[in-house]
Amino acid sequence: MNLVWKLLRQHISIPQFVGFFFANLVGVVIILLGVQFYKDYQAIDQEDSFMKADYMIVNKKIGALSGLSGTQHTFTAADIADLKESGFVEKIGAFTPSSFNVKARFDVEGFVSFSTEMFFESVPDEFVDVKSEAWAYHKGSNEIPIILPKNYLDLYNFGYAQGKGLPKLSEGILGAMKLKIIIEGNGQNDEFEGRIVGFSSRLNTILVPASFMRWANGQYASQEGEKEPTRLIMEVANPTDERITSYLQEHDYETDEEKLEASKTTFVLRVIVSIVMIVGIVISILSFYILMLSVFLLVQKNSSKLENLLLIGYSPARVSFPYQALTVGLNVLVLILAVIIMLVIRSVYLDMFENFFPDFEAPGVLLALCVGLGLLVLVSIFNVIAVYNKVMSIWNRKE
Amino acid sequence: MDKIQLIDTLPNVFVNRENIVSGIWNQKVTFEREKLYLVEANSGTGKSSLCSFIYGYRHDYQGQILFDGEDISKYSVAKWTDIRQHHFSLLWQELRMFPELTAWENVEIKNKLTNHQSKEQILEWFEMLGITDKLNAKMGRMSFGQQQRVALIRALCQPFDFLFVDEPISHLDDTNAAIMGQIMTTEAKKQGAGIIATSIGKHIELPYDQVFNL
Repeated sequence: MNLVWKLLRQHISIPQFVGFFFANLVGVVIILLGVQFYKDYQAIDQEDSFMKADYMIVNKKIGALSGLSGTQHTFTAADIADLKESGFVEKIGAFTPSSFNVKARFDVEGFVSFSTEMFFESVPDEFVDVKSEAWAYHKGSNEIPIILPKNYLDLYNFGYAQGKGLPKLSEGILGAMKLKIIIEGNGQNDEFEGRIVGFSSRLNTILVPASFMRWANGQYASQEGEKEPTRLIMEVANPTDERITSYLQEHDYETDEEKLEASKTTFVLRVIVSIVMIVGIVISILSFYILMLSVFLLVQKNSSKLENLLLIGYSPARVSFPYQALTVGLNVLVLILAVIIMLVIRSVYLDMFENFFPDFEAPGVLLALCVGLGLLVLVSIFNVIAVYNKVMSIWNRKE
Repeated sequence: MDKIQLIDTLPNVFVNRENIVSGIWNQKVTFEREKLYLVEANSGTGKSSLCSFIYGYRHDYQGQILFDGEDISKYSVAKWTDIRQHHFSLLWQELRMFPELTAWENVEIKNKLTNHQSKEQILEWFEMLGITDKLNAKMGRMSFGQQQRVALIRALCQPFDFLFVDEPISHLDDTNAAIMGQIMTTEAKKQGAGIIATSIGKHIELPYDQVFNL
């Protein structure tokens, strides 16, 4: 093989291959970085992994007058039916408020002890994406799964703890602690244990399972009959849908704008990442084209040598091999270097992510590696076949 | 491979030519192993075409060419590769050597493929043909006559049933031509192979079994 290589490496143009190498490197780095960045961004965005992705919460605007009357900001059955008909709603559910008094106590031994009045709300289970066991309430048990607003934790960490010089608490630590819940109503007074299953930055309420709410409302509610809901949760197909905004305005409804904005940001980011990746793919395709041209030129320049090798008994596969190995080798080198560059750049932005989001856990790089490997295999197969076909055209004396 | 048969073979370029008088074209010709053939030709009568048809790198002919009764026009790439490695050796008129490599490397590139000859044997042939001093000389720097001798050595670095030499001594003196003839016949005899030699005038003096006029 040595002698064959000595022959066939004649006319190899280093500048052409260097050109290919860097062009392809840029392309592959962009593609890998695009994939990885999107994955990392998703990890930030998915703080509420226990809530389904595209849902919104709506309530009626509370004006100066309606606030006093106390009834007008609830949703009637007709309102809900109308929303269902609107076309952008996939699923809709009502918030059920608690009709009893709730007190919570929270002790961090030796440090701090909170006690507060609070309330519970529940939504249908289908909107909560927690494994059924963790989110189930068993009748007779005194353990209640709870989802708290992220704000509570932030209030403590950045307000209270900061001011008093107390240690900051992470979601993990808090999740492992128990909350003492005292429920009063209907002449009864019982104590329960709250188990925090998660924090939500989107749900501005204290959520308990619907099954618990049904039971507790029956048990402790002072008055009979269900209240009309003041808030609705709905799953929408596309949060950027124009119809949503106009419908809400028309009916004087409100939604958490932030969520809407976040969805739009994600959407825009997705578009930007897609564009960047398309640019990367175009660069890669062009560099692939450069490589193919260089190799074809090389084959052309060495065609008499290739022909003679074929005529003295070398098989087309064996004659193709040096050029195939050359191209595949270059591709592998590009991929390795691209992965290293991607990891370096990533480590820079991951530092930033971790500063902004203390709970951020970096996802793996497996997907990006798979994409890189997939590209490598695809491009290499193309290269191998193209070189072989070129050699076969010499065999068939078509040149 | 024991037999090469040409049945009414005619290069396409000759199809419109009238009055072709040839011992090979448009005839039924058989070459057999262990025999010596001489094909004498004037230039332009299709000598190189004959080589390329039999060696499978041109197919622009009419009629049939059969190896052991098999029509070679249907042969696959793998089959031709096998034939070129193990059954059929050709010494081209244009030599087809690699000018970038040395004389030794030109031989080695073939022998590495077939692992047929020992280094000693190859060196002995270089010695016999008086080109030992050129072993490490670049092929491109050697005279055509010297290259012809290296080309013969390369042609012998494989097992073969037939050795086809196309004007092998066009640039050699009689002494070297005689040595070449001797090496060729010795090696062919060892393998029980047939030799087909062509010439347009000067030919190696060998006890030919049959002489054709192309």
